[in-house]
Amino acid sequence: MNVEVNIKPVPFEIFGVDVGQSVVIAWGVLAVVIVLLALTNVYIRKRFSEKPKGLQMVLEMIIGGLENWAKGYVGESASFLAPMTLTLMVYVFSESIIELFGLPAVTGDINCALALGLTCFITVNVTGIKARGLGGRLAGLCHPKAFMLPIRLLTDLITPFSMAIRLFSNILVGTVIMEIIYNLVPILLPAAFSSFFTVFEIGIQVFVIGLLSLVYTSEAVE
Amino acid sequence: MSPLGLIALGAGIAVLCGAGAAIGMGIATGRASEAIARQPEAFGKINSSLLFGLILMETCAIYALLVSILLIFVLGAKV
Repeated sequence: MNVEVNIKPVPFEIFGVDVGQSVVIAWGVLAVVIVLLALTNVYIRKRFSEKPKGLQMVLEMIIGGLENWAKGYVGESASFLAPMTLTLMVYVFSESIIELFGLPAVTGDINCALALGLTCFITVNVTGIKARGLGGRLAGLCHPKAFMLPIRLLTDLITPFSMAIRLFSNILVGTVIMEIIYNLVPILLPAAFSSFFTVFEIGIQVFVIGLLSLVYTSEAVE
Repeated sequence: MSPLGLIALGAGIAVLCGAGAAIGMGIATGRASEAIARQPEAFGKINSSLLFGLILMETCAIYALLVSILLIFVLGAKV
């Protein structure tokens, strides 16, 4: 049994600059997603009616549901936090679902996971500083008692790395298990198992990254 | 003992951490079910708390699995 899994990022040279294979695949996936969204905007949005049905109903359900969900956590910052959360979730979903098409999942690259973790960290802190000011944000860290400041500071600083490793490990574990199953029984079992291991894991990770981004922001904004 | 055998043993011991995570998740889900049975109208808040707790517990188990995978694939390839 020969199982080959890429844990280190695979290099890829463009004009002498090493960008990494995952970045090139991510460009391709983002191009497809942006073209799909642009086509939806241009062609389908004109035919929106007062009573939604079909695709319009699905879109309204998703976007409205996410806005209500975000309002439950952050209140008034939901006007710009909900679109960011939805973008993050769509990004993680589309970059991981290409695993079903044979390409290596982009979120299985530690660089992508770290970038997403840092993005969430910056979002949480900028929202917190906008809502309460820099002093208020630091004062919120001393919330139960003043001597908790170093503990809570450490927890907050470790948050992006924790999110990154969570996402990276879950996708990597799915990849390893699917490789092993594919090596053992190449014919019918991988399709059946990948509906559980791959799709379910990706669904959970998408939900988790949205939920954690909202929860940490709600803690910062309070 | 051969280095490969020690690596395999270490990888196996690392995944035992999943037992603690599974026990913790079971206790949390049981308490949440009791709370919902006692007060069915608070289902939304209890569900949110439960999911948040489950996510954090699952992360610990996944860290353990990551250590095991790194032992087998990175260290095992060098030996």
